[in-house]
Amino acid sequence: MEDISNMQVKEVISKYPGIGDILGSFGIGCVTCAAGSCLFREIVGIHSMPPEKEKELFDRIAAVLPSGVMFKRPAPSTARKREKDGGLKYSPPIKMLVDEHTKIKKLLALIPDILGSLDIEKENDRELIRSALYFIVNYADRFHHAKEEAILFDYADRDSSVIKVMLEDHDLGRSFVKGARQALESKDIDELKKNLEGYKGLLEEHIRKEDEILYPWIDRNLSDAQVGELFRKFSEADIKTDRNALAECLKFIDGLAGAPHAAPSKK
Amino acid sequence: MSARECCPGSRTQVFGPKDDGSPQEEGGKRRSQLRQWPVQLHLVNPQAPYFEKADVLLAADCVAYAMGDFHKDYLSGKSLAIACPKLDSDQEIYIEKIKSLIDDSKINTLTVMIMQVPCCGGLLAIAKEGLKRAKRKIPLKYIVVSLQGEILKEEWVTE
Repeated sequence: MEDISNMQVKEVISKYPGIGDILGSFGIGCVTCAAGSCLFREIVGIHSMPPEKEKELFDRIAAVLPSGVMFKRPAPSTARKREKDGGLKYSPPIKMLVDEHTKIKKLLALIPDILGSLDIEKENDRELIRSALYFIVNYADRFHHAKEEAILFDYADRDSSVIKVMLEDHDLGRSFVKGARQALESKDIDELKKNLEGYKGLLEEHIRKEDEILYPWIDRNLSDAQVGELFRKFSEADIKTDRNALAECLKFIDGLAGAPHAAPSKK
Repeated sequence: MSARECCPGSRTQVFGPKDDGSPQEEGGKRRSQLRQWPVQLHLVNPQAPYFEKADVLLAADCVAYAMGDFHKDYLSGKSLAIACPKLDSDQEIYIEKIKSLIDDSKINTLTVMIMQVPCCGGLLAIAKEGLKRAKRKIPLKYIVVSLQGEILKEEWVTE
């Protein structure tokens, strides 16, 4: 008997494409996920569906699997909090992270315009790219991702595939930034575009997954005491951060014109 | 004033026996989850040791009577203050006590439980004002309870 519970979801969908369609019909977008490395047994739990909907999903998946293939149905979580009126809002510490995403998304949305009008020979244009990279390094990574890595992820299972994917995204983002810096120094416009466009695609998908799936999953399982603790730890981390670098980043991003302030899909 | 025009907070209502399938009688005694005295907001000292770094529940007076499992589901693990925003006097003192809980006792979180009647919203307003005046910031949650003890809303205040 083949057990697909511990297989990566992209492998499951590749072997049994009908499962991808079923997941999609339940609002679980694993088919379009660039990574797809979450374990099959974890993906349903983190989307937190009502028990009856979860049962329907499992029944439909079981129906398309050939004989000799099975998966273990996870027990419904008892830690799920009451969800009325469309569910809880983000708790204050998680909302802090979502608000930081909004600033990062502002820059991501402007990358095509910046690259489209870029003259690599002009110092002003190169300075704009330097400022954007400074924002990415100091705000998106050292200010925002650092809080996730040092604090938030302790409130989830660090060994879960979901958290591992998030950490891999952070590392891949750093490699794009390193590539973009080198390309800027060597005035290699093609390489610069490849790295910045790669970063944009990666981070947009990464932020969507966090806003819509990871953060609500972590948030649902926090006790009130943990919400207070997380809020305090984030506030302490913000105080310890390099205030000059943070101010410079905020001045840069708030001064950028023309970018849509895309609101997160969950308020 | 007719019954229809009466304030929802004081309008006479009679609730029939519940038949929602839940057990009507349960064996054994429930242990009280209260871990302090006093509890009335005018009487409590906001710097009392039981408030230090605590998760605090600020409940409207009627809440504990409306809910069947107030102690088990909401009081457990929390320090308590109770008040009535409709009938209590000197509510400016309440705001200063909330501020002191946040700044002096460095409470971890504040949860405000109110009834669904409009006048009860005043207690949330008091909590918000106390938080606004405080130097520290903490997460503030509010829970709205129906007249028959159901949870109508439970949200963190994020504005």
